[in-house]
This record gives sequence, structure tokens and C-alpha cells, in this order.
Amino acid sequence: MYYQNQNQNNSAFMQDEDLLYTILADLKRTVREYTTATTESSCPTVRQLFTQLTNDTLRMQGELYNLMKQMNMYSTSSKALRQDVDKQIQDARNTQQKARQFVQQKTGGMGQYAQTPNVPLHQPNIHNPYYM
Amino acid sequence: MQSGQMQAITGKELEYIVDSISNEDLLIKQCAATAATSQNPAIQQACQQYIRSMDHHLEMLVQALQQHQSLAPNQPQQ
Repeated sequence: MYYQNQNQNNSAFMQDEDLLYTILADLKRTVREYTTATTESSCPTVRQLFTQLTNDTLRMQGELYNLMKQMNMYSTSSKALRQDVDKQIQDARNTQQKARQFVQQKTGGMGQYAQTPNVPLHQPNIHNPYYM
Repeated sequence: MQSGQMQAITGKELEYIVDSISNEDLLIKQCAATAATSQNPAIQQACQQYIRSMDHHLEMLVQALQQHQSLAPNQPQQ
């Protein structure tokens, strides 16, 4: 029988996994609301309060996630493929370079972007034939 | 907290504080129900810790309302 094979007590209100998932989901929602409340605060003491509550709720959400992961109650999504990561790095470097050029055009070489970078521009060390 | 920074709270801030009190209240009840239902000591212990933290959050939120109570105007302002 399917239900008798489960370790959980059948008379339980809900499975541990479902109960913890509900708490985790509400912690995530509460963190989002605290973050919004922080950005919308006008009084410095209220902003400080919401900042503290955001950080503390984020801490609890992380702890609960780790607990559920240890108990194999939470499956993370599958690993990103190397070729996808490589492609995104290449695109990101492109974006970064264009953003810097844009800043340089607008600021006329003033400010922090005027300095020549002391590290050479990153070159991908993998030359993937699919994306080159 | 420096009392010099204290300003009357806006209607929006009041709504956020009240919504946050509801959120913490719901989380406390969920944790208490989970601690009572689960047979797993690790889950029970974690839930008890969360309840203490959330109860502290509730207290902070209510105190924030009280601290701003006397600053709130009695009449709507332009």
C-alpha cells in the first residue's frame, strides 16, 4: 500500500515537507515585502527597522532552506551547461565593454572610467566553435 | 535609534508596518502548527527558534508604532 510505505504518520495534519515548504514560501514573500517597505520608507528610523527585518528574515529563509536541503526535501534545478555559461560570459563582457564606451562618450573621459584599466580585458579561455 | 531622526510616519509606512505584523503573525502560527505536527526533533527545534525570532520582530513592529504615536497629527495635513 502506497501510504503505508511512507515514514510519516498518516494521521498528521500535513507532511513535514509540505509544512516546511509553506513556511519557506511565506518567508520568501515576507523578505520581498520587507525589501519593498525599506525602499518606500521616509522616516530614517522606519527604514532602519525594515532593513534589520529584511536581513533577519533573509537569514531565517536561508537557514530553513539549508535544513530542507539536508533532509532531501528540496531539489535544486539541474546544473547549467558549460557552453551556456561560456556564452553568457561572452555576452556579459560585450555588454560591459559597451557600457564603458557609453560612459566614456558621455563623460568625455572624466572620472574613474578615464583611467586605463590595470588589468587586460578578459578573453575567454575556451574557444567554443558553436559561438565563435 | 536616535530620537532626533524620528519623523511622523506616512500613511504608506503605517500600512507596511501593519502588513508586516500580519505576516509575522501568520509565520508564527505556521511554525507553531509545524512544531506540534512534526515528529522530527530537528524540525521542532528549528520552528521554536523561528518563533522566538518572529515574536521579536512583532515586538519591534509594535514598538515602532508606539514610538511614532505621539508624532502623528490629529488633523489631515496639506
